[in-house]
Amino acid sequence: MYFLKFKKMKTLKGTTKYFQLTFSIVLMAGVISLTSCSEDDPMKEDVPELITKATLTFTPVGGGTPITVSATDPDGEGVQDIQVDGAINLAANTTYALTLGLINELAETSSPEYNIADEVEEEGDEHMFFYSWTGDVFSDPAGNGNIDNRADAVNYEDEDDNGFPLGLTTTWTTAANGSGTFRVVLKHQPDLKSATSDANTGETDLDIEFEVNLN
Amino acid sequence: MLSAQLAFGQRPCNGRFSGRVLDEQGEVLIGAALLLDPSGSGSVTDVEGKFEFTQICPGLYHVTVQYLGYQEQVFEIMLNGRVEKEITLQPNVETLREVVVKEEVAHLENAQNYTVLSGEKLAETAGKSLGEFLKEVSGVNTIQAGPGIFKPVIHGVHSQRVLILNHGIRQEGQQWGAEHAPEIDPFIASNIVVVKDASSIKYGTDALGGVVIVNPADLPEQPGLGGSVSMIGQSNGRSGTVSAMLEGGLNGHEGWGWRVQGTGKRSGDFHAPDYSLTNTGIKELNFSGAAGYHNGPKGFEVFFSHFRTELGILKGTAISNLDDLVAATEREPPQSTADFSYDIAEPRQEVSHNLLKLNGHIERETGEWRLQYGFQNNNRKEFDIRRGNLSGIPSIDLQLNTHTIEAEWESTPDQANSFCIGINGMYQDNNNIFGTQRIPFIPNYNNFSGGVFGVTKLVKAHWVYDFGARYDYRYYAVTGFDFKNARYSETLKFQNVSFTAGATTQLNNSQSLAINVSSSWRPPHVAELYSVGTHQSAAAIEYGLLLNDSTNEVLNINDVSFKIERALKAVSTYRYQKNNLAIELSGYANYIFNYIYLKPTGITQNIRGTYPYFRYTQTDALFLGIDITADWNLSKQWKLSPKASLIRASDERNNDLLVFIPSNRYELAWRFEEPNQLPVKRFFGELKVKYVARQGRAPRTITARQIKDASEAGVNLFENDTRIFDFKDAPADYTLVNGSIGFSLDRDKTRYDFRLSAENLFNQSYREYTNRFRYYADDLGRNFMISVKCIF
Repeated sequence: MYFLKFKKMKTLKGTTKYFQLTFSIVLMAGVISLTSCSEDDPMKEDVPELITKATLTFTPVGGGTPITVSATDPDGEGVQDIQVDGAINLAANTTYALTLGLINELAETSSPEYNIADEVEEEGDEHMFFYSWTGDVFSDPAGNGNIDNRADAVNYEDEDDNGFPLGLTTTWTTAANGSGTFRVVLKHQPDLKSATSDANTGETDLDIEFEVNLN
Repeated sequence: MLSAQLAFGQRPCNGRFSGRVLDEQGEVLIGAALLLDPSGSGSVTDVEGKFEFTQICPGLYHVTVQYLGYQEQVFEIMLNGRVEKEITLQPNVETLREVVVKEEVAHLENAQNYTVLSGEKLAETAGKSLGEFLKEVSGVNTIQAGPGIFKPVIHGVHSQRVLILNHGIRQEGQQWGAEHAPEIDPFIASNIVVVKDASSIKYGTDALGGVVIVNPADLPEQPGLGGSVSMIGQSNGRSGTVSAMLEGGLNGHEGWGWRVQGTGKRSGDFHAPDYSLTNTGIKELNFSGAAGYHNGPKGFEVFFSHFRTELGILKGTAISNLDDLVAATEREPPQSTADFSYDIAEPRQEVSHNLLKLNGHIERETGEWRLQYGFQNNNRKEFDIRRGNLSGIPSIDLQLNTHTIEAEWESTPDQANSFCIGINGMYQDNNNIFGTQRIPFIPNYNNFSGGVFGVTKLVKAHWVYDFGARYDYRYYAVTGFDFKNARYSETLKFQNVSFTAGATTQLNNSQSLAINVSSSWRPPHVAELYSVGTHQSAAAIEYGLLLNDSTNEVLNINDVSFKIERALKAVSTYRYQKNNLAIELSGYANYIFNYIYLKPTGITQNIRGTYPYFRYTQTDALFLGIDITADWNLSKQWKLSPKASLIRASDERNNDLLVFIPSNRYELAWRFEEPNQLPVKRFFGELKVKYVARQGRAPRTITARQIKDASEAGVNLFENDTRIFDFKDAPADYTLVNGSIGFSLDRDKTRYDFRLSAENLFNQSYREYTNRFRYYADDLGRNFMISVKCIF
């Protein structure tokens, strides 16, 4: 509490009206403050940035049944780990088109916030998907993917407004046999995406890994 | 002497010797020590500079008057019956300015372990933020988040454990975050006091570590106009600060006074020695106004202040998951480092704070009544780099309104003893402003608090004693959204008591000793109970105390083992002054039971990747430390001032260490002063060397890469070993050299102060352990500062 102390104490006589005035103002302010308090009723926020489900759809280019796997987050920021479907079972020596679905299950399906993949596509010039795998499961692209080295081969089938790859759609040709893991990383690279920006550039929006088997 | 006393020996010993101790400008000196010889009794001046000796036998006495920073005065006096005397001390220009109380310090109450910064010391750090400025005090450090955000740390504790009193009102902002700086413009202060014991019991709970008191100058009571203008330019950040103040009285209305004041600051990107710290600019605009009437025993005042700042957060700290953290901690310079710019982009903060205060008091023969009302409105917006054009939308948007009302009565039956009782109440309303499109990090809440207290000061023989006790009650009504975005509502009640006891004595004519022991508590902050999610540049998920370990559901407080946090702190200060040497030595021990802190608990996954998570947990913590300051006058003009702050903290319950505890630091200043003999006035030159040791008591290190590798190998590093850890080793020790020169010109009624200073003169690359941005970038490089102040 702050109050001025007086260097010179004058007479104690005199009116008390200033004190009474202050007292009334303070009291009034106090009464207003106590009556103005309202019951809190916060509104629920939409949470468009949250991706609760990522779906990978491998469609055989020559026709056939698409293979779909997904990763689901049961509790968002909660302590539980994400749940990943069983292995991706692909046919050997087959070419697939891979498309990615990113969904926020907390939003209404009719809401523009439901389909995050659309949003990523719109902002293609600041997003890029990177892929890596083990076990030599693909003959094309060869190698282990571009998460460790941007220059390594991945067959991007889409690009952003600046002509840089995006990666919502990619193609993959499986090897004769093998098994390993398959990892997908989505980076958010506002003002950072370039011909050389890599999987360490920007912030991570998605990072999931699946088992992969060739039959 | 002996014979004189014998001669009067038969007379009754009922004499009284009293008076005041003043400085050369007639301002009172608080805490000046008087010693009466041969009686051997001592006295210390009170807040009005008054002293008193009673039951004195008539006779001739030697009186020694001492005050740190002033020349010792010894005189002889014949005491017989009632004797009153005003004593004026001459300043010892060469001695420590830091502890020179040149003006009456408000709100100090009965504190014995404190440091006052005023006048010269304030001028030296003009242009810096409050937190940065407080680093000048021995025993005070900062928790820092880049070049613009400093939180004061007193004796190793901060945030909810340090009470800030601005113009007599408890500062109520969003202080739960380490990147949330106090919302105060230091230009409004005429003195700033750091109380290092918990004796300021009048101001409520939370002062477990200490109190920072920001006091304005008294309002003018006489007609006339005065003011000052300060202009400060700094090379690092290419910043400019302008602050102006105008004050006056009213012609024909004696007792009325007013003051208006404003500060503007603009800074661009700061730079480390080797690279720019991109996106660390600052925009600040503050103003305040005060008016009041004072007439002898009564008076009232109205005060309003507005504080607004926009701060950029280093772009390279924008990280999402563990992989990003690995990259950011191993990369230098930080990602997105670009050329200098004044632009402030995401991530950034916008913070505003408004304060309205009304207070009045009246002195009656029975005592003094005081009444005060305060309203604070605090707004905090945090903007992150976001997807879907959301970057322009804050991810945290909070409004906190606080009403405080306080009344007290103080009785001073005689000059030495005093007694004060009071009551205070607070109503607080915290709201998340709708539209962030994020699950709120902390919930909405209403907070009703009330307290009553009594404090007293007693003078007995050579000792001054002070005692205080208070009781507080707090009620929270909380409504928020959990991790599923499902709504919850809870009510909580807390109540407890605090005590303080202190004593001061003058050991002899060159030494004094002060001791304070206090036990204080604090209700938990809502953020410590209910936090969920990540916030700015933390790269970790945080969970409150009341969230279930595995399901994240919000629990009732009765279903968890929560206990009130309580500190038991003892501080003792020894002061020595003789001839050309002044020493102040302060030791403390602070044991905090049920200390609430963020503990690394595990790693969790979501679609964005893997995250370490921290949970608010309780333990018992012990802080031990010593602060030393000294002044050694080599000659009339030359002075050496060494300073040291040593601290040792530990987690007593888990036999572990604590993170972000300031390391030991030492400082040596070498100063030349010539106030009058040169063509310019008040000339000084100073060279300061500061050595900061490496924190040898840092918790174990687990790098982001180690966590990542373990996580990929399916190992949970925290499953069997929950000791606290840090992402990086404590940085190496460092030495900084600062220099400054300054002088004044007096022209008619106007005074001009000029000052040129350089910080980190040798452009040393270093990282400070208590700066959270040390994971990502070096600290500031060389900075030149020029300032001109005109007082009229």
